Amino acid sequence: MKKLKVLWLSALSCNGNTHAFFNYPNLEYFLDNFEFIYHPVIDSEYSLEDIVCKDIECDILLVEGGISDDFLRANTPILDIIKKYAKKVKKIVSVGTCASFGGIFKGGAYNDVTGLFFDEEKKIDRLEEFRDKAINVSGCPVHPDILVNTLFSIKQELKLKLDNLLRPKEYFAYSIHNGCTRNEYFEYKVDNHKFGELEGCMFYEHGCQAPFTHGSCNKILWNEVNSKTRAGLPCMGCTEPSFPRENLFSTKKNMGIPQELPLGVNKRTYLTLAGITKAFTIERLQKKLIDD
Amino acid sequence: MIKLIEKIEGEATLDFNFKDEKIEFVDIKFNSTRGVENILKGKNALDALVINPRVCGICGHAHLIATVKALESCYKDIKISKKAEIIRELTLNFELIHNHFKWFYLTLFPLFGFKQEVLKASYASQLMGKAIATFGGQYPHTSYAVVGGVVCDVTSMDIVKIHSYIDETIKFFEKNVIDVDVEKFILCDNVDMALNSEGDLPKILKEIYEKEWLELGKSYDRFIVFGGNSYFKSGKSHKTRVSKKLPFEYVKEEKNKSSYAKNVSFKDKYYEVGPLSRAMLKKIPLIKDSHRRYGDSILSRILARVCEMAQLLNHSKALLKELDISEASYIEPQVDISKISASGVGAVEAARGSLIHKVELEEGKIKNYEIITPTQWNLAGGSRENQGISQKAMVGLKDEKIAELVFKTFDVCSVCTTH
Repeated sequence: MKKLKVLWLSALSCNGNTHAFFNYPNLEYFLDNFEFIYHPVIDSEYSLEDIVCKDIECDILLVEGGISDDFLRANTPILDIIKKYAKKVKKIVSVGTCASFGGIFKGGAYNDVTGLFFDEEKKIDRLEEFRDKAINVSGCPVHPDILVNTLFSIKQELKLKLDNLLRPKEYFAYSIHNGCTRNEYFEYKVDNHKFGELEGCMFYEHGCQAPFTHGSCNKILWNEVNSKTRAGLPCMGCTEPSFPRENLFSTKKNMGIPQELPLGVNKRTYLTLAGITKAFTIERLQKKLIDD
Repeated sequence: MIKLIEKIEGEATLDFNFKDEKIEFVDIKFNSTRGVENILKGKNALDALVINPRVCGICGHAHLIATVKALESCYKDIKISKKAEIIRELTLNFELIHNHFKWFYLTLFPLFGFKQEVLKASYASQLMGKAIATFGGQYPHTSYAVVGGVVCDVTSMDIVKIHSYIDETIKFFEKNVIDVDVEKFILCDNVDMALNSEGDLPKILKEIYEKEWLELGKSYDRFIVFGGNSYFKSGKSHKTRVSKKLPFEYVKEEKNKSSYAKNVSFKDKYYEVGPLSRAMLKKIPLIKDSHRRYGDSILSRILARVCEMAQLLNHSKALLKELDISEASYIEPQVDISKISASGVGAVEAARGSLIHKVELEEGKIKNYEIITPTQWNLAGGSRENQGISQKAMVGLKDEKIAELVFKTFDVCSVCTTH
């Protein structure tokens, strides 16, 4: 079987995507199909200095981390390394939210941090000539299934439908809210969530962004077992260009109504639905889920 | 000569200065920083719980726990249930074990000329990731520990699951790494005995013996541990002298002229942090024996890191038994954090050693934040007159490849160092 050659570059990052990738359950199968010409952790035939100096065959470029003109790897501007390989590869995959949109290290030590093709949701022209090769798999970190299956779809030359931020729709058309075990508390507007409990929805008070964040966390789950919202942690909106927003553990409200509403739901619809559900008390959702 | 060191969660350069064909001085340089402490300034206190795990993709959980402890120490009076304390300690243990497996199979193996064992590393580290995610929702980058406790509740089925992840990891560790029962291994007090089996650890140890590297990589023999908990003992030791008192005022961070990494010292002295220091303070029999014979060499350092996997797996089982799921996971603080103007410190033991977070809050907003990572202790780039821990460990070596091996036995984390 011919392996596709993949270059994984880290720019301004925490390496979280590298380690999220390591959680892919069937790494052996992945490594039967792909070969890293360079990877931040996995041993490769070439060193980073080889990548910079030599002309090495490559099919897919993966970049993790934000981009800045001043950021160097192996004493070479990261943008120069990216451009060198962008020319020769079939696809360029921005891995994680930093590489997709700029992410968490904007406003830190470098003042021009962006993603490869976007600065938050704004298109930028740093690598404009390569935009038709770009795919963004956002998330802080990326979900390993999303990354790996995107790579397999490139290998199998499938035509992926991408959203306006270049993310594969099959994963990013959903909201994080889909599949959350706390959904009933949301549907029936039971707004008494407390931390440390199985019950309740974090949307009303504790800043949960799941209903208006694109992604599949609750559909495909993390580490195959759980998700942040299932555990009781608000969704932080980490797949979106706006990540990280501020005041992440509290819900911004106007006149008692959450400022951000579920995807595609306007204020009137929301208020009407809330009005109806508030008129009822559903006893099951008022008490402990697992009682004595 | 300058050597680029990579695959250390980023990169560093080592500038080797030779005299009479021996390394006389190594200048350690980290060539970038992300400025996380600046990003935190002006933010709401609780946002640090989301930002700080992103300091590091491999030990971000330690940053979360250090953050929550620092924020909680800003309160005069705050209650945390025993249940929440245990859960936090468990998930941190799981991260340490996860990190050690990766270091052993991904970093150490190639340094001894063996093929990197990606699948072994991922098998065991994934189990530990699942155990963290069962409590915290996901790994890496959860923020499930919040001021007042943890966000999750735990059912008895969760405990059953976590138990199975620990047991599976122990089974894997016994079969692959040590080739003896974990219980026996923990009681072992003789390095020679650790050699007498077929596991991956003895494979490395035999190389060290054959290559006569037993005394390689010695430094100052000074150890420090800040993040005491139900298992680790905090304190510092030099040779056989141990002292328990560690006032944070004596911890000093200093800019380094040639590198973005700041140096850290205690009372103006450099100390080693990490598994070897923890084992010395805890007086682990096997490590005591290794240290008695070969000092703070790579042998002791490697053995301590591997031994810690066994100890923490075992201890986590005991902790899990202590967990009373009828207790509260979270106790809402009496005072809202937006009313708090105070300073706090949180110290935990991360995989590579003591991690300290210091915060200054003004009406719930972050006025100042300081992160001191383990690698800053071990890889401090000191002067020729006052060399850092890893610099000292490389002096006198003839070959920069061996120096790289010594350097990497500290389990270097570039992203943490250059937060």
